[in-house]
Amino acid sequence: MNQPLIDLVNISKSFDGELILDDLNLSVKENSFVTLLGPSGCGKTTTLRIIGGFVSPDQGRVIFGGEDITRMPPNKRQLNTVFQKYALFTHMNIAENIAFGLKIKGKSKDYIRDKIKYALKLVNLDGFENRSVDSLSGGQQQRIAIARAIVNEPRLLLLDEPLGALDLKLRQDMQYELIRLKNELGITFIYVTHDQEEALTMSDTIVVMNQGYIQQMGTPEQIYNEPENAFVADFIGESNIVDGIMLRDELVEIFGARFACVDKGFGQRTPVDVVIRPEDIDLVKPDDGTLTGVVTHLIFKGVHYEMEVTTDGGFEWLVHSTDMFPVGQEVGIHVDPFDIQIMNKPASEDEEAVGVNE
Amino acid sequence: MIQTSYAKLKRFFENFYLICVLIFLYAPIAVMMVLSFNSSKSRSQWGGFTLKWYRQMFDSAPIMEALYNTLLIAFLSALIATVLGTAAAIGINSMKKLPRTVFMGVNNIPMLNSDIVTGISLMLMFIAFGISLGFRTILLAHITFNVPYVMLSVLPKLRQTSKYTYEAAMDLGAGPVSAFFKVVFPDILPGVLSGFLMAFTMSLDDFIITHFTRGAGINTLSTLIYSEVRRGIKPSMYALSTLIFVTVLALLLLTNFAPAENGKEPDVSAARARFKKGGYEKWLLTAVSFCIVAGVCYTSWRHLAAARSDELYVYNWGEYIDESVIELFEEETGIHVTYDLFETNEEMYPVIEAGAVLYDAVCPSDYMIQKMAENGLLSEINFNNIPNLDQIDPVYLERSQSFDPQNEYSVPYTWGTVGILYNTKRLAELGIPAPTGWKDLWDERYQGEILMQDSVRDAFMVALKTLGFSMNSTSTEELSAARDLLLAQKPLVQAYVVDQVRDKMLSGEAAVGVIYSGELLYLQEEAESLGLDFTLEYVIPEEGTNIWIDSWVIPYNARNKENAEKWINFLCRPDIARMNFEYITYATPNQGAFELLDEEYQNNHSVFPDVSELATSEVFQYLGTEADDYYSALWKEIKAH
Repeated sequence: MNQPLIDLVNISKSFDGELILDDLNLSVKENSFVTLLGPSGCGKTTTLRIIGGFVSPDQGRVIFGGEDITRMPPNKRQLNTVFQKYALFTHMNIAENIAFGLKIKGKSKDYIRDKIKYALKLVNLDGFENRSVDSLSGGQQQRIAIARAIVNEPRLLLLDEPLGALDLKLRQDMQYELIRLKNELGITFIYVTHDQEEALTMSDTIVVMNQGYIQQMGTPEQIYNEPENAFVADFIGESNIVDGIMLRDELVEIFGARFACVDKGFGQRTPVDVVIRPEDIDLVKPDDGTLTGVVTHLIFKGVHYEMEVTTDGGFEWLVHSTDMFPVGQEVGIHVDPFDIQIMNKPASEDEEAVGVNE
Repeated sequence: MIQTSYAKLKRFFENFYLICVLIFLYAPIAVMMVLSFNSSKSRSQWGGFTLKWYRQMFDSAPIMEALYNTLLIAFLSALIATVLGTAAAIGINSMKKLPRTVFMGVNNIPMLNSDIVTGISLMLMFIAFGISLGFRTILLAHITFNVPYVMLSVLPKLRQTSKYTYEAAMDLGAGPVSAFFKVVFPDILPGVLSGFLMAFTMSLDDFIITHFTRGAGINTLSTLIYSEVRRGIKPSMYALSTLIFVTVLALLLLTNFAPAENGKEPDVSAARARFKKGGYEKWLLTAVSFCIVAGVCYTSWRHLAAARSDELYVYNWGEYIDESVIELFEEETGIHVTYDLFETNEEMYPVIEAGAVLYDAVCPSDYMIQKMAENGLLSEINFNNIPNLDQIDPVYLERSQSFDPQNEYSVPYTWGTVGILYNTKRLAELGIPAPTGWKDLWDERYQGEILMQDSVRDAFMVALKTLGFSMNSTSTEELSAARDLLLAQKPLVQAYVVDQVRDKMLSGEAAVGVIYSGELLYLQEEAESLGLDFTLEYVIPEEGTNIWIDSWVIPYNARNKENAEKWINFLCRPDIARMNFEYITYATPNQGAFELLDEEYQNNHSVFPDVSELATSEVFQYLGTEADDYYSALWKEIKAH
């Protein structure tokens, strides 16, 4: 069950001399829900298209179920894709769209009819067989696109930002639908998105990509709580990323103040990046805090208040709290040791976290 | 009250304007349709209702063959251009922006380019590469000019189509070809269909390019009609044009008013539905296409197979032979005749000169024979092979020496004079005696009653002869005097025309007209059958006139010279010459044939004048480029005055 279904080995690809993927390695286990997450231009869609067979890599191999499929055309691969803009065939009705792949495979009429019925039921669109594509809403079209892919019983389903064109409410509904589908069908999903919330909600594994590199791969919790570098920290949720000096194991100095933490093995007096999530900062009385500052900004967000606290040295901390402190009030900043995430400074230019585009 | 009457008035003028526009657009077509049912050949006289032109049209082998060629070429060129153009559009569509823009520009140039440039360049290319002009070259030319139109109509559709649908089809297991035909093609089908239709109509419409790229023995409707212009377009052509118009109209009505299945975009959805269903229509379409392709292969094979030794390529004026003569010749000699038409000497000349088509026997007029001989385009005839030459009255051979001094290049075929046709009744009304010479055309009592020929040499001939000069004069003084005379006559002239002399005289619009004697028999018969209350008489002016002679010659590059000589000999046979005379009604120089004619014809002095009457007459000579230019300059002066 947990064998690797697909392996990307040393994949490189450039378009017009621009390097999109650089020596990428990725292994996806059978029956997992893997999300490729990153800003646009990070190479996530290219990776998906290489797996789908629409783009062939300049270097490297694609191994699918132990077989090298690098040069295999898309129509021979045992996987299906749900495209960003659905790519339904508008000159066919819904049943014909869904039957397309099965007809090519030469399945019997009865089999196809049953499959269509089953697939429509699965995506909650029973009785839509004879409707035209144009008469469907965006969400319904997306379900049909999924139905059209899954009737072929692929071992792997590729989804290229399938919810990108839907509005927020529909998107959230579809996220749950996709999780349910994945559990019912037991097939492997590789999902591409630039929406970190979507990635966190649905995935078993998130692969954060930037500039053709995999920045971090792990469970949603790992990615969120223990980002490995400033890019990941910044891209996933909101973060305070500050320069710090690891004095010794379990002690870091930030803006001259010493914070206890749980990280070890960075050596002594090592410059590091320190990540602290806004909701992990406790605002206390000035005397109780490790650092002191003044509230300079306050917004009510519903669930919590969002505040900016400016400390000595001019750094503005982003703080989420259910307690409200008015602008101008002096406060102390306290962080629990396990809420402090220590990261190595980027080793090379390429891994440098650059501005996030989206 | 004022408001409503103002609105009514406004409405009236709106409708009135609309009707005017409609009349402007459709009156010409209506006139043509009415004339197609006119039992008289005249364009201005109603001779009663008839369907004979329609019968004649369907019975006429050349018309039916031209129709077949036209439709076949239109269909095939549109089909092939659609395939090529669609493929090219797909290629261009997947290009990057810059090369795409460049290619689109390159694609647009041929469409904006003038047809005549396209036609000539295609002809030159075919000749340069040794491709003999014929069906194939017309087809190639039409494909060439059709491809851009198809691309122009397919590209926008392709750009609207999501590229992902193609990938989706591949993803679902379809191979590249099947993905294209199952998914992309139905999406761009409306564009492909409209491209096909556009190409089809462009091909149907084309005259200029076809004219330059066609070869011997092949005509499309447009070139066939054009070749008939000289002797007047036959009413069966009106019938044909009417049928074509009605067919197009019916098609238009059908596509616009057919019950739409989905309401919007009826043709598109219907086409899609048909394609999708893949029902019998699809098979029918395939079967029809197959038949047509097979037909074309067969036709081209026949064209190729025909290229054997027993062949003869004839180039003649339109309507200038009794077609059964060709059949008789083929039967008797076993030689296959490819018969081709030209409309003017000037049109024929470059074809022979360029060697675009290698004709074996051609029938030009006097001065043109001289020009061709002087430029080395003619081959000496071996008269040993033309024993029937003794049937030709020596008078005409003597006359021919004017343009063929040694009688070595030409054998006379028809001849005639130019004279004055007059309306007896009209002259009586005006109180003028019948004209006897050209000088009468300067009689001021004829004010607004004179029709002159709208051609340089004919007009100057009248003036030069009136002044007692040679009509082949190149003296600037004589020509200036002739110009002044023509200018003096201009206020009296009703119109300078060519073909309309016949119609205007038949309808009694003018009292006198300068006309070729060849038209006489037809005019007189027509006047009789219409039951006109006046008669038309012809006089050869006493000052002398133009004797024109059309003769058979053999071009220098003829491939079947002996066959050409057999042909000329055959045409000199009295019984054959008689058949031709009765069909063409132009005077024959063939003494043997003359003797076989009815007395009525023999005694018609207008057609067969006494030789003595023609003592002062001449035959046109080729005067050289310089003189031609001088004549033209003077003629322009007169016309512009």
